[in-house]
Amino acid sequence: MKALVLIAPALLALAGCATVQPWEKGKLAKPEMTFGGDKLETRYTDHITTSREAASGGAGVGGGGCGCN
Amino acid sequence: MTTSKQAPQDLAASLLAAALLLPGVQALADEPPQEGSISLRYLDYADRQSGLDRIRAHSPSISVTAPVASDWSIEGTLTADDVSGASPRYHTAISGASHMQDERKAGDVAVTRYFRRGTLTAGAAYSTEHDYVSRALSLSGTVSSEDNNTTWAFGLAGSRDRIDPVNHVVVDEHKRTLSVLAGVTRVLTPNDIGQLTLTRTNGDGYFNDPYKLFDNRPRSRRQNTVLLRWNHYIDSTGGTSRLSYRYYSDSFRIRAHTLSGEYVQPLGGGWSIVPELRLYTQSAAYFYYDPVYDGTLGPPFPPGFASADPNRLSSPDQRLSGFGAVTAGLKVVREIGKLWTVDVKVEGYEQRGNWRLFHDGSPGLAPLHARIFQVGLTRRW
Amino acid sequence: MSARTTRVLRMAVVLAAALEASGASALDKGAAAPAFDLPGKDGAVQLAKYQGKLVYVDFWASWCGPCRQSFPWMNEMQAKYGARGLQVVGVNLDAKTDDARRFLAETPARFAIAFDPAGATPRAYGVKGMPSSVLIGPDGKVLYEHAGFKEADRAELEQVIKKALGGAQ
Repeated sequence: MKALVLIAPALLALAGCATVQPWEKGKLAKPEMTFGGDKLETRYTDHITTSREAASGGAGVGGGGCGCN
Repeated sequence: MTTSKQAPQDLAASLLAAALLLPGVQALADEPPQEGSISLRYLDYADRQSGLDRIRAHSPSISVTAPVASDWSIEGTLTADDVSGASPRYHTAISGASHMQDERKAGDVAVTRYFRRGTLTAGAAYSTEHDYVSRALSLSGTVSSEDNNTTWAFGLAGSRDRIDPVNHVVVDEHKRTLSVLAGVTRVLTPNDIGQLTLTRTNGDGYFNDPYKLFDNRPRSRRQNTVLLRWNHYIDSTGGTSRLSYRYYSDSFRIRAHTLSGEYVQPLGGGWSIVPELRLYTQSAAYFYYDPVYDGTLGPPFPPGFASADPNRLSSPDQRLSGFGAVTAGLKVVREIGKLWTVDVKVEGYEQRGNWRLFHDGSPGLAPLHARIFQVGLTRRW
Repeated sequence: MSARTTRVLRMAVVLAAALEASGASALDKGAAAPAFDLPGKDGAVQLAKYQGKLVYVDFWASWCGPCRQSFPWMNEMQAKYGARGLQVVGVNLDAKTDDARRFLAETPARFAIAFDPAGATPRAYGVKGMPSSVLIGPDGKVLYEHAGFKEADRAELEQVIKKALGGAQ
């Protein structure tokens, strides 16, 4: 586990082998290529998973806590 | 009438994530949004266990995003949850499960300032239901490299919750959390972008579920997550795959893996379909006890109850057991003109002890099934 | 963290930094603007043809949000200062020229448009962001460079053009 945490940033840094130029980012500009997605949709999904599972956080949306069923 | 609910769940980390996990690297410099938008969304959730209906929830919400002046944007959300149904008092017991009904209202707002090479966001959230009030604040930011191919994210958030269960098992309890986040987003190729995010949350206070029997949890909880995400555009189909893996571990000794993927396929004429699959597995909390009860006292008493330390930790909450879960869903999106988007999403969720990966799950709990339906409408201006 | 892990990480960081090293760098003021000869909306577009004019070269693409905002302004500049010797040239960098034509159908350009899907021109000019603009004097030398386009930029950019025209007579 610790290995993954240490190596992953190095991998991410390495992976961009050729610098992508600003004018080559047309596909990256598409909404489906961004992270996060539809804000309300992600919130609902996170709300449901945190109400039925023990894990929470990492990515997503939400308000503060709740006494969720 | 007593109500029975699962443990007050701390979503402060989610708030943190909301404010912090901004849409990754934008293809352009850190620019404020070009247009504002208003979104309405509705959720209909229902779960079943052992052939009987359990919890039903209806939840409308609204979200508004608007650019302000040249360098600012503001975002606000309001949501209402109407939850009702029967929830087990221990394990998956049907008898003795009591009916509950509650309305939760929550709102949050975030303000972002855009700089030449970065952003700064401040956020606040408030949530209230008749036995639980939560307040949270967050501060987060991003810094991008000169070529915009690397963006670093950082954040800090805190929450304060007040718990007053209707059965008066405790009165005026509190819970506080503090979360930190660090992440990096990297443009890998013209078709690929990756993101790594680490979070850490420290919580102190009341973590028990007051509506469950023999539920006595530690008064602190430390949680860690590592999240890896990768979006890939496929030239031949014009579709995009969105994959993510999250590793979670906490001081309850719960370890969880979440692997999810969705594929966005534009179909022409403004239509898109998005199939999705999510696999989840978790270990049990160290103080969770299986549905094996005391020889003399019977359910719901944990074995050896009569002679045990009355302060010992325990919980019969299925949510803290070892299990695996699968979600499968499909979303259909239609863009109408340049300003409107409509979507409909259907998902099925199932959770089973023996679906736990790599190890045995907790025995003796009936599988849980849920069906989820969402509809959304967005208008840009 | 073990010694071996530290060494691996250090190597990774050095390698990443080396790979990170970008190619072109932005042109210096006073440098000669690189020539280009590209297919255009209405025939070929050559920088050399505009010798003696003040040329405002704008690098844009259909997927770039601020570009949509900048077009009406560039139309305005061309209309206002064209007679005094300003020539706006929009160099499109879409990989698929069809996307550019669709953009132009919705947001018309009343200035010269050139297509460079291969991206040789922005590379030569050291373009760092989208959109990017370069102001080239009548002598073919770079006067001013700017990246991005915000509401607040309009006034500043117009001032720069007016000043350059005021001097160049």
